[in-house]
Amino acid sequence: MSVDPGVLARARVRVLGPVPIGPADPAPAGLTRAVEPSGRVWLLPAWPDGATPALLEEYQTAPPSMDRPGQARRVFAAALRCCWTDLDTAPWPGRTAAIAAALEVYTCMGRGDADLMRRWGLGDLRRLADSGWLLLDETAGTVRLGPRTAAWPADALSSLRDLLRRLPQPPEQAGAAR
Amino acid sequence: MSAASEPASPSPGAASLDDVLVGEAILGVYRQMFAALARDSGAVVDDPEMVDVAETLLAAFADAGEDGLGHEQMRHVCRRYPAEVFENRLRVLKGLGAIREVFPKPGQLRYRASFTSVVGLMFVRRMMLDGGQSEMHRLLALEQLNVTDPRMTGEQAAGGAEGLARAFRLWSVELVTLTNATIEELREQAPKLWGSEEIIQRAERLHGAILRRWPELDRTCTELRAAIYAYGDASRRAAARLTDSAGTTRNLTLLPPETWRTFARTASRERLAAVLDGFVFDAAAPWHEPAAIVTAVEEGPRTTAPRPAPPRRSLPDGGLSQDVSAADAGAVERLRAVAEQVLRGGDRVAVHDLLSETGDWPASRRLFADLSSAHLHPELPYRLAWSAELRPRPGDAPSWLSHGHFERIPG
Repeated sequence: MSVDPGVLARARVRVLGPVPIGPADPAPAGLTRAVEPSGRVWLLPAWPDGATPALLEEYQTAPPSMDRPGQARRVFAAALRCCWTDLDTAPWPGRTAAIAAALEVYTCMGRGDADLMRRWGLGDLRRLADSGWLLLDETAGTVRLGPRTAAWPADALSSLRDLLRRLPQPPEQAGAAR
Repeated sequence: MSAASEPASPSPGAASLDDVLVGEAILGVYRQMFAALARDSGAVVDDPEMVDVAETLLAAFADAGEDGLGHEQMRHVCRRYPAEVFENRLRVLKGLGAIREVFPKPGQLRYRASFTSVVGLMFVRRMMLDGGQSEMHRLLALEQLNVTDPRMTGEQAAGGAEGLARAFRLWSVELVTLTNATIEELREQAPKLWGSEEIIQRAERLHGAILRRWPELDRTCTELRAAIYAYGDASRRAAARLTDSAGTTRNLTLLPPETWRTFARTASRERLAAVLDGFVFDAAAPWHEPAAIVTAVEEGPRTTAPRPAPPRRSLPDGGLSQDVSAADAGAVERLRAVAEQVLRGGDRVAVHDLLSETGDWPASRRLFADLSSAHLHPELPYRLAWSAELRPRPGDAPSWLSHGHFERIPG
């Protein structure tokens, strides 16, 4: 039985999330390529007419559920604050930041026990990395934005830019800027 | 295990030589019976293989006939087993009398096996195979036969009844212990509970037969009856606990929840994952819309008190549309045209004259609105300057006029 390689690739992307491919490989129909400066290429699902899964809400269909979405998104915002430093450009690919810096921003964003927040935050970073929103290198202690952020439509980013300007400065960047 | 099968032991107070001889003979029977199970002369085997050696030997002796077997032949029969195990077994079996010389004299090299040991081993094997319960069935059936035997004495019947009562008592104690033990243990021992109704019926029939034939044994029979009922209660309770634990499925082979929990806690990651081998998961990853991130941060706990944010659309704001400024430019041009038409090339014109020229109120109102707009527009060089004079005009439109001038701002 032969399966259309495009169908196979779409199924793989759906189950595994963004998958790296060779730089020369073409993107099958329904998928787009997100290119890193290092030359690595990721396959991303692309939806027709620039729609995103946020469209599900308009049709009152439940989006894929996740545990504690609010907390995960706050951690994500902290990571974005560190990795998306040039707010005038697109977030992807962004720059590499230290995990500690992202966690520091996260602890400054809310109130509560800082140690506990750091531990929860690390768990959320890992979950975000599992679903392709972040690229986490725990041995090097660094975090980068995941290829999924390349799928954000450009005109939906203005409120996110406003938000990131209001978030606390990452510690190492504050030291480097002065 | 053999509580019901052993005959009553001789009284310990026996003093005469005859009694000692009788006791020694009985002990000899015991020894031969359980020789197969003995590890050494003082203890029971701790490895089932040792029993196998004995069985192999006894089978070989049965084949050999009246000549018996020599040491080499015995070793050959047991060649599957290690030499030291074989030698050990042979020594113990000889010591307990299960295997003995054909003629009791020194230097004897040929051996024969004891008939009692084989019977004992058969009994042991049967007990191993189906446990004490089926043995109870046999004993009850035998006792039933004995009771109908005309040669049976009341004393023998009382002894049998006492033995059975003791067996039932011990059995029910075991069941009660099981009922209070862990459910896994109970599940393992569950076969002991099967068919207990039949045993109780048999025991009751036997009890009735004894009581009818020897009414004077009513005390012993009461004991037996109580033991039977105690056994019935215990077995019912254990069965109830077992069915309770099996839940509504009534499937006793299902694993209990404790086992699942233990597995989930102690299994390695690979073993846990293997449970789901062959399943395909097609869960789409969660999607984080930028607007959702903004909402989550704004709704999150804050270090400072929240300031009310100005109402903002979550959708992107396109800014001012293009045709607004275009319309504005058009309006400025129109105002400028109106002003120049009113001034007629001059620098100054009286507003009250203009308004009375138009004749009707809607027209003068429109003109006055345009002049006011020209006055207020920061880019247009016109202004309205008012004086204090006011002229009422009853019957005309407008019905009163305040005096002022519309003028060009110099410069």
